[in-house]
Amino acid sequence: MNPIIGIAKKDVKTFFREKGTVFWTIAFPVLMLLLFTAIFGREIPLTANIGIVDSDKTPITASVISGFNNTKVFNVKAFENKTEALEALKATKVHAVVTIPQNFTFNLYTSTANVSLAVDETNPDVARLVRDGIKTFFSEFYKQFYNETFHRNYTEPISVVEESSVTHQRIGYKEYIVPGVLCYPLLFSSMVASTGAIVYEREKGTLKKIRASPIRPLNMLFGKTLAALFQTTISILIIAVLAVVLLGPKINWNIPLLVPVMFLGSLNGIAIGLLISCIGRSPQEASGAATTVGIVLQFFIGMYFPLEYLPEYLQQVGRFIPMTYAAQAVRDVMIRNAVISDIFQPIIMLAVSAVILYAVGVPLYKRWVEKE
Amino acid sequence: MSGKLIIEVEDLVKHYDEVRALDGVSFSVYEGEIFGVLGPNGAGKTTLMEILCGLRRFDEGKATVGGFDLIKDSYKVRKSIGFCPQETLLYDLLSVRENFAFAASLYSLSSKKFKERVEFSAKVLGIGEFLSRRVQQLSGGMKRRANLAASIIHDPPIVILDEPTLGFDPNIKREFWELIKTLKNHRKTVLLSTHDMYEADELCNRVAIMDKGKIVALDKPHILKETISGEASIHIKVKDDQIKKALKTLDKYDHMVRDNEVQIFVTNPWEIMSEVSNKLISQGILTEKIEVVEPTLEDVFIKLTGRRLTEE
Repeated sequence: MNPIIGIAKKDVKTFFREKGTVFWTIAFPVLMLLLFTAIFGREIPLTANIGIVDSDKTPITASVISGFNNTKVFNVKAFENKTEALEALKATKVHAVVTIPQNFTFNLYTSTANVSLAVDETNPDVARLVRDGIKTFFSEFYKQFYNETFHRNYTEPISVVEESSVTHQRIGYKEYIVPGVLCYPLLFSSMVASTGAIVYEREKGTLKKIRASPIRPLNMLFGKTLAALFQTTISILIIAVLAVVLLGPKINWNIPLLVPVMFLGSLNGIAIGLLISCIGRSPQEASGAATTVGIVLQFFIGMYFPLEYLPEYLQQVGRFIPMTYAAQAVRDVMIRNAVISDIFQPIIMLAVSAVILYAVGVPLYKRWVEKE
Repeated sequence: MSGKLIIEVEDLVKHYDEVRALDGVSFSVYEGEIFGVLGPNGAGKTTLMEILCGLRRFDEGKATVGGFDLIKDSYKVRKSIGFCPQETLLYDLLSVRENFAFAASLYSLSSKKFKERVEFSAKVLGIGEFLSRRVQQLSGGMKRRANLAASIIHDPPIVILDEPTLGFDPNIKREFWELIKTLKNHRKTVLLSTHDMYEADELCNRVAIMDKGKIVALDKPHILKETISGEASIHIKVKDDQIKKALKTLDKYDHMVRDNEVQIFVTNPWEIMSEVSNKLISQGILTEKIEVVEPTLEDVFIKLTGRRLTEE
C-alpha cells in the first residue's frame, strides 16, 4: 500500500473510532445552528408587555387597546394613572407605557392626536423593537381609522414599494446560518484534526516508528492532509443532512461550486493547524491553541452573523482569515445563487492563502518532524 | 568473529549540550548474530540505537548499517532495519492487523507480501489468536509481541531492539527471548540493547558492555566472564551481626561484600569450600548459605566499573 494512503487510512480509522470526538465534532455545530436559529430566526421577535393609561376613555381608545391585544406581539396591561404605570415600568413589569391623553379622539378627528411613550431602555435591543412596534401599530391603526371614517383609502405622501428580493426568495435566518455552519468543519475538523493528528504522533511516541521507516516527512504530511480532508468532508455532509432535516432551509445546493470552495477552505484550515502544531511547545499547548483559535475565529468569519455586525477593527481581523472568504463564497452560492464568476475573487483569495500558509508551514513541519 | 559485516560503527560521538552521551563508540556486527549492548540506565544504549535507526544525529564518527552509510543513505538504512523501541508503539484503537497494515504501508509492502508476513507473524510469533483484536484489549505481553511483529512486518534483514523486555515479568520475558531466538533462526541480524545481564547472556552471541557512553568490554559472554571476572566465586551468607567477624576470619582470601554476602574469589573454589566452611565454624560463625556461584556479566560489569548494572 502507498504510505500516503496508509497514513490517511490509519488517521481516519482512528478518528472515527473515537466515538466521543466524532459526536462532539458534529454535535457542537448542530447545537450552535439550532441555538442561533432559535435566538435570531424567530418570526415574532418577542412578546412585550406594555402598560396603557387611557385618559380619554372613548370607543376609539378602547379599539386602540383591543388592537394592541390582537397583535399577539403585545400583552396589554391597563393602568388608571400614569404614575402607577411608570412605577410598573421602573419595576420592569412592563417594557413600555403608552399614555393616551384626554381629547385624543377629538384631536384624531380634527387635527393631530398625540400619545406619549415611555420605554424601558435598560435593554437597548428590546427597547428598539418595542418602540418600532408601537409606532408601526399607531401608523396602521390610523390607516384603518381613516378608511373607516372617511370611506376612502388612506394614501401615504410617499409610498415605498418593496421589489421582489434579488435572490428571488425571502431569506430567513436559517437560510443565512446554514451555509455559515457548513463552514464550521473548515475550522474545527480541518484545523483541530490536523493539529491533533500531528501532535498525537509525538505524544504517543508513534512518530518514532514513522521516522524510523523510509517514509519522507512530506509524504506523511500528504497522508495527514488527506485524512483531515476526508474527516472534514464527512463532517460537512453530516451537518448538511442534519440542517436539512432539522431546519429545511430553502437554499441552493450547487455542489460543483461548493466543492472547490470547501476544498480550498479545508486546505487553509489544515495549514493553520499545521502551523499551530509546529509552534506549540507541547502537545497539550498545541491542542489547546488549536481549539481556542477555532472557537475565537468562528465569530470573525461571518459564520453565525454578518461580518458587518462586528466593529470595523474586528471586521479587518476577519478579512485576514481565509475562512471568511470560504463562508462568503458558500453563502453567495447557497443564498444568492452565485455562479463561478461571482465567487472567483474568494476562490482566488483562498487559493493564495493556502499556498502562503503551506509555504510557511511545510519547512516548519519538516523541522518539527526531524526534531530529536 | 567473521562473516559479512552488517553494522559497523566507528568512533561515534554524541553530545547533549555538555553531556557526552556517546564517547567514541566503535563495534561491528556480523550477519546472523545477536549482538547485545549491555549497560545500566544512562549508559548511552538508547542514544546509540536511535542513532543507528536514523532517529538522532551524531556529532562525530562514522556508521554503516546494512552496508549503507547512515548519513548519505539514510533512506536505504531505514528500509533495511526493523526498529522495536522499549515502548509499545501501536495505535490502541486499531486492531493488530490494522496496525500491521499501517506499518506495512510505511514500507510500501505489496498486499501479497503483507499477507505472507501476517501469516509469518501468526504462526512464528504467535500473534494469530489476537490479530483481529484492538490493541487496547490486549495484555501487556500480547502488546509487546504485536509491537515486535509490527516492527518486522516488512521482513528487514536487520532488527534493532531497544530494551525489548523492559518491565516484563520473568515468564513473559522468557517467552520473548524465544521470539528473539526465532528471529536469529530466520537469518536476521539482531542488535539488542539491554540492562539485563541474563538476557544478554542467554541471547547474545557477542556483548558490548557500555558505561558512560563508552564500550568498556566486547566479546562473547563466556569469554568476558572467564577473562574479566575470573572463575566461579564462593558466596557466603552469615547473620548481619557476624559479617565483621567472618571478614576477619576470611581475610587471607580475595573477597568483597555484596548484598550482605561475602564473596571469595579464588581459582579453585570447589576445592577450598570445605576449608572456608570449617574456618567459619571454628570461629563460631553460623552460615545461612555457602555456595559456589559461576560468574555473570554483572560480575564483569562490576569488575570493570566498580558499580552494579542496576544502579542509577
